[in-house]
Amino acid sequence: MEDNQNSAPGNVPATKLGGARKGIEPGLNASKRLQTELMQLMTSPAPGVSAFPSADGNLLAWRATIEGPDDTPYAGLTFKLSFEFPSNYPYAPPTVLFRTPIYHPNVDFSGRICLDILKDKWTAAYNIQTVLLSLQSLLGEPNNASPLNGEAAELWDKDPALFKTKVMDRHKDIEEDE
Amino acid sequence: MYQPEPTAYLQVSAGYGIAHGLPEFTFEETPLGLNGGGGVGGGGGSNGGYGGGLGTAGASLGGIGGIGGAGSLIYTSPIFSASSSAVGPASGPFQFHHNTSNTTSSNASAASSPHHQRSPHSVKMEPSLSNDLAAEEAAAREYQPRLEGPLVGKRTSSTVITEEYAKADPIYVQKTIVLPQTYSHYRPIQGDGNCGWRAIGFGYFETLVNGGSKAQVDSEKQRLESLNSYIENVGGLSPFVFQDMAEETIELLQRISNTIGDRAQAMAELEGSFNNPDIANSILYHLRLLASSWLKGNPDNFSAFITSDIGVSGYSTDVIERPNVEIDNLGLVLLVNVLLKPIGFVLEVAYLDRSIGSQVNTYRFPEEANGQHPSTLGPIIHLLYRPDHYDILYPAEVNLTPPPQPQVTMQQEVNLQVHRASFSHNYEIGNTPIALHSFAAADMHPNPLALIPGFDTPPPSLNPIITLATGSPITSYSPSPASPWMPTPFAETAQQESPTSLPIRPQAPAQQNHPLRFSEYCQLPEYVGNDTWRGEPVFQTSTFKNSHFNVAHYNNPNFQPEEYRPEADDYHDPPPRAGSKKRGSV
Repeated sequence: MEDNQNSAPGNVPATKLGGARKGIEPGLNASKRLQTELMQLMTSPAPGVSAFPSADGNLLAWRATIEGPDDTPYAGLTFKLSFEFPSNYPYAPPTVLFRTPIYHPNVDFSGRICLDILKDKWTAAYNIQTVLLSLQSLLGEPNNASPLNGEAAELWDKDPALFKTKVMDRHKDIEEDE
Repeated sequence: MYQPEPTAYLQVSAGYGIAHGLPEFTFEETPLGLNGGGGVGGGGGSNGGYGGGLGTAGASLGGIGGIGGAGSLIYTSPIFSASSSAVGPASGPFQFHHNTSNTTSSNASAASSPHHQRSPHSVKMEPSLSNDLAAEEAAAREYQPRLEGPLVGKRTSSTVITEEYAKADPIYVQKTIVLPQTYSHYRPIQGDGNCGWRAIGFGYFETLVNGGSKAQVDSEKQRLESLNSYIENVGGLSPFVFQDMAEETIELLQRISNTIGDRAQAMAELEGSFNNPDIANSILYHLRLLASSWLKGNPDNFSAFITSDIGVSGYSTDVIERPNVEIDNLGLVLLVNVLLKPIGFVLEVAYLDRSIGSQVNTYRFPEEANGQHPSTLGPIIHLLYRPDHYDILYPAEVNLTPPPQPQVTMQQEVNLQVHRASFSHNYEIGNTPIALHSFAAADMHPNPLALIPGFDTPPPSLNPIITLATGSPITSYSPSPASPWMPTPFAETAQQESPTSLPIRPQAPAQQNHPLRFSEYCQLPEYVGNDTWRGEPVFQTSTFKNSHFNVAHYNNPNFQPEEYRPEADDYHDPPPRAGSKKRGSV
């Protein structure tokens, strides 16, 4: 039991934790924090981004949308994302995925995102809204130095027109799927 | 079973040498390949078996046993899996495929002869390489270090540390033998990247519990509550980010305040809270935010200590506010300034490292507390620092009373000087009037207490420190080895005792029958525990004897590889010393 207790500060999903902490609901702090964030998102929403807990009532899983910023290849498009929060959120970053297929240098074809604040640069001072705003600005300013999609990183500078075409192709694919 | 002759090994080693000479080895299309194909397998029939052995990737010994050909025995030995790629020219490209691309079925390709016409392996490797990368990335994402023990352990006798280091470097042995004389107990803190924060945080609450003053705890509660606006206004964090965290700290103080009359109950409350990840994470992050706010509030005092060019705000987000990133010296100073100094608590860190000396070096925070007698200071929180880790120490009771005039030998005086030298960074400031001036001004002048809303008057225990330090900063550090806080009297006795009090020090091996001697400090515990492996030169199999191809010697720290000795062809397993003597006499 002692050992179980100690595995908790890590990034353990809530389901795996079950019973590790006697008498304490796993992710209690995370739920509390997420409720606060939900309140903040509703009272002072940021333009172009929104987020809400998923319908099944699990506060550790959220759905979010980002509108593609104007003057970028993503203008006019809307992207859906999923957030999964570890039970020790906000002391560990959420897992964020693009659910809408997106052609972007820093997003791979499974929707995984390469963004430092979602990895080693995470601090508890970040929250859902700041993450969404960071992702929105990532759409217009990709980090082509560490691409997950090498072709996209190359085309971004070399051939913006082809890039735009690929963005539109890929985006359509997704909406048909949904 | 075929027993390889020494010549077989010679043949292999020759091939090995060639392999090194030709790194760009491509023999696919040469007739040599055919030759090798025959030679390696010892016939077409054994080719399949060869492949089978390879299929078990990194062929185990068991796999080898099932193979008939002597050549393949050697080539499939895991020791030579790399070199064998060039030993038999045919087996070169063949095995390379198997070792690098795990996707192909080895049996099938081994049976089919045209495996020489495979496309270059670099092309074949690409898909599996990217798969491996993805898998590795995923594994890295999911990786959680296995952490042993509770977040905050029980108060334990510090002789445990002595035992832990009994087999380590002599400097560690020396220092940890002396350690329990000064610090009778310690409390292990989990090494999850938060240990410095955790140790100081726990020490802070524990010192409050030990103080036993409800009024003090309540005033601390008020002070930390009022610091919330400091975090918001100076630290620049919106309250909803940190209010949950601060609440946990305040609530713990409230619970301590409620149980302060019963020390055992208060300690149970404290230990329980610090071992509850939800509560502990919040409290520790609250401490991080206090420290980073203090940094932002006093950038002039500290920005010079930020070595990289990330600046004050970059340092706050990249180092202090990042969960599970260890506290460094600047973070430590910040936390002491914001949390401990205002109520007169002193932090004393004992550094256990390989610096020269017979005992741990200690250093106090805040700086001006150094060189003063403990009775003039407030409560001291003792930490043990080992490179990258903090634990809490508890001094032996004796240490609290002023020690008698110590009789210091020349030797120890020298050691003390060395201690100082190793902290030159800090002491230089203390010894240089100008530097000190700015530092003292920086540290003291914008009275930190005045900056804290709702905390106007410093607690009385802090006053003497401040006046002493600012009034006569240079003399406040007494360079005399007789400085009362140095527990020198214990060192001598401990040094005399050292040979007997080392519990697990292994006996020197009774007989050393080969020139390679293992240090008794670098042996694995399982070998030190029982001496059974000593003087047991076996670890041979009937096939390999003591050839260096024999993986059995992995288990044998005394392994002595066979040497080729033309004058003694039938001479098996000689004691090497005797052998060298013999050679010397010839």
